[in-house]
Amino acid sequence: MATSSARPIISARDLHKRYGALQAVDGVGFEVAEGEVFGILGPNGAGKTTTLEMIEGMRTIDSGSAIVDGIDVSRDPRAVKARIGIQLQASSFFDELNLVELLELFGHLYGRQVDAAKLLADVELTDKARSQVRTLSGGQKQRFSIAAALVNEPRVLFLDEPTTGLDPQARRHLWGLVRQIRDRGHTVVLTTHYMEEAEELCDRVAIMDRGRIIALDTPAKLVGSLLGRGFTKERVERLANLEDVFLDLTGHDLREED
Amino acid sequence: MGPFGIRLGVFWALFVASVRMFVRNRAAVFFSLFLPLIIMLIFGVLNFEGGTTIQLGLVDDADTEMSRSLVSAIAEVESFEVTTGDSDEMQADLKSGDLEIALVIPAGWGHGGDVQPLTAFAASGARQDAQVGALILNSIVFRFAAGSIDLPAVMVVVKQVAARDLGYIDFLVPGIVGMTVMQLGLFSVAFGFVQLKRTGALRRLFATPTSPVYFLGAQVASRLIIASFQVAILFGVGIWFGLQMFGDYASLAVIVLLGSVIFLAVGFAIAGWAKNEDQAAPVANLVSLPMMFLSGVFFPRDAMPDFLASVTGYMPLTYVNEALRAIVNDGAGLASLGPQLLGMGVWAVITFVLAVRLFRWE
Repeated sequence: MATSSARPIISARDLHKRYGALQAVDGVGFEVAEGEVFGILGPNGAGKTTTLEMIEGMRTIDSGSAIVDGIDVSRDPRAVKARIGIQLQASSFFDELNLVELLELFGHLYGRQVDAAKLLADVELTDKARSQVRTLSGGQKQRFSIAAALVNEPRVLFLDEPTTGLDPQARRHLWGLVRQIRDRGHTVVLTTHYMEEAEELCDRVAIMDRGRIIALDTPAKLVGSLLGRGFTKERVERLANLEDVFLDLTGHDLREED
Repeated sequence: MGPFGIRLGVFWALFVASVRMFVRNRAAVFFSLFLPLIIMLIFGVLNFEGGTTIQLGLVDDADTEMSRSLVSAIAEVESFEVTTGDSDEMQADLKSGDLEIALVIPAGWGHGGDVQPLTAFAASGARQDAQVGALILNSIVFRFAAGSIDLPAVMVVVKQVAARDLGYIDFLVPGIVGMTVMQLGLFSVAFGFVQLKRTGALRRLFATPTSPVYFLGAQVASRLIIASFQVAILFGVGIWFGLQMFGDYASLAVIVLLGSVIFLAVGFAIAGWAKNEDQAAPVANLVSLPMMFLSGVFFPRDAMPDFLASVTGYMPLTYVNEALRAIVNDGAGLASLGPQLLGMGVWAVITFVLAVRLFRWE
């Protein structure tokens, strides 16, 4: 999916962020091409969210720079926010409003009139239109959160650990949704600590640890270079794993609508 | 749609959302609307005005031996609570409802056996108390004059003075209005905002290009509108209970809005400082409870010891309540509320600075 010729839609250079004694992000830089699904992988505390939030304009940058769609985030965070969609890790919404009211409200925050019904249909929440967020299941909440991040037809959609805490069915369902969004032409940047998720979804991945990027390439090339260094798994690769068994037994259908 | 149009649209959308969120939040509606209403109904039904003493004013313009002993004899009657003063003061107190009856002893009375009938002025509103008071006065004066010649049959002539009849409801409603303004500002903001902060809903607003200041403004505007509605409802119920409104509603609105601004600022200061509801609750209660009982919401502050009365006189709700009562009970206009407006103004500045200093988005 990566387009090589065009100007990158995201260009991060030498980002740093320190919290007290902790150097959370320590010189991170990468580029994301338009239309790409770009993954930031890493264990908890690796600095994924902080990196994402600096690029989004949600956190100030100590040093380094981030350019999104030609705009310097440090100089004009509002203009960047107007062009991107953000799903926060564990984001919550106003409890007393229903999904349609929330989407319309968020539309107004971008100065837009939105088609709430269409946005909800895109994330398969049509029948929850008049429900409140707190009544949704985990997967539904994440899907709504994505719908809310799409109200401004963003150039880039940022998803921070979108599938954490979801069951395998809901996770796979969300993967399908991310692919649809990419197919509609949105660039997607996501963080995850699930390797199979990165492998399934991402055109390229950056692996972070202790505030630094320690590898950046397509999943296939990363695996290839590891194998090229003579790596072999101790056990013979099985043709199926426990998750396949689980899904075979319980099916791919979503359970949350019950 | 120009940039101003967009901003107005954003503000309106956030305002509508804020009102919706308040109205749909059962706890908020209960505590800030139904609770004051219930308190008012309870106190309105209990009706604390049935005191047994009669407020009597005495004017002794004679200052003779006889008049002085008459005054002291009247003062001994337990049914009377006696205030002395000059004729003008008595007339004013009668009109405002502070006195129910006033007895005037004219110059020269009791001098050389002159015992002309005395004149008592009765407040028209307090007919019953005034009648009882006149009877008692008549019998005392009669006894005093008993030794004189040419005894008139009636010793006290009662003249009606057009006066306000202020009941407990007239005292209570302005107090409840003040309390409601305080509770709404303090609690709806302190709790609502802290919750939005804790859950991250506020942070989600940061992810949009709209400045969260709009949300703050919409919250304040929605609370001011809601406060106005509540005051209207409380007044409606109060009038049904016999409340009399002597002032104008424009002045009342100014005091309600100014009071709301003060307590909203306190609410935002607490919400800005607190990390969660558990931190906000005790502070909000610490601020509101003393004022609930010491700012004259339910009972007059006259009964307090002098020291306490003077200290609590500086509390913001005291200024608000004093101003509301002056408007509702005495028909005062803003021009005559200088000290209260000054007090509220000072508090508005203090609380605003506090709110700005303490407020944190995250």
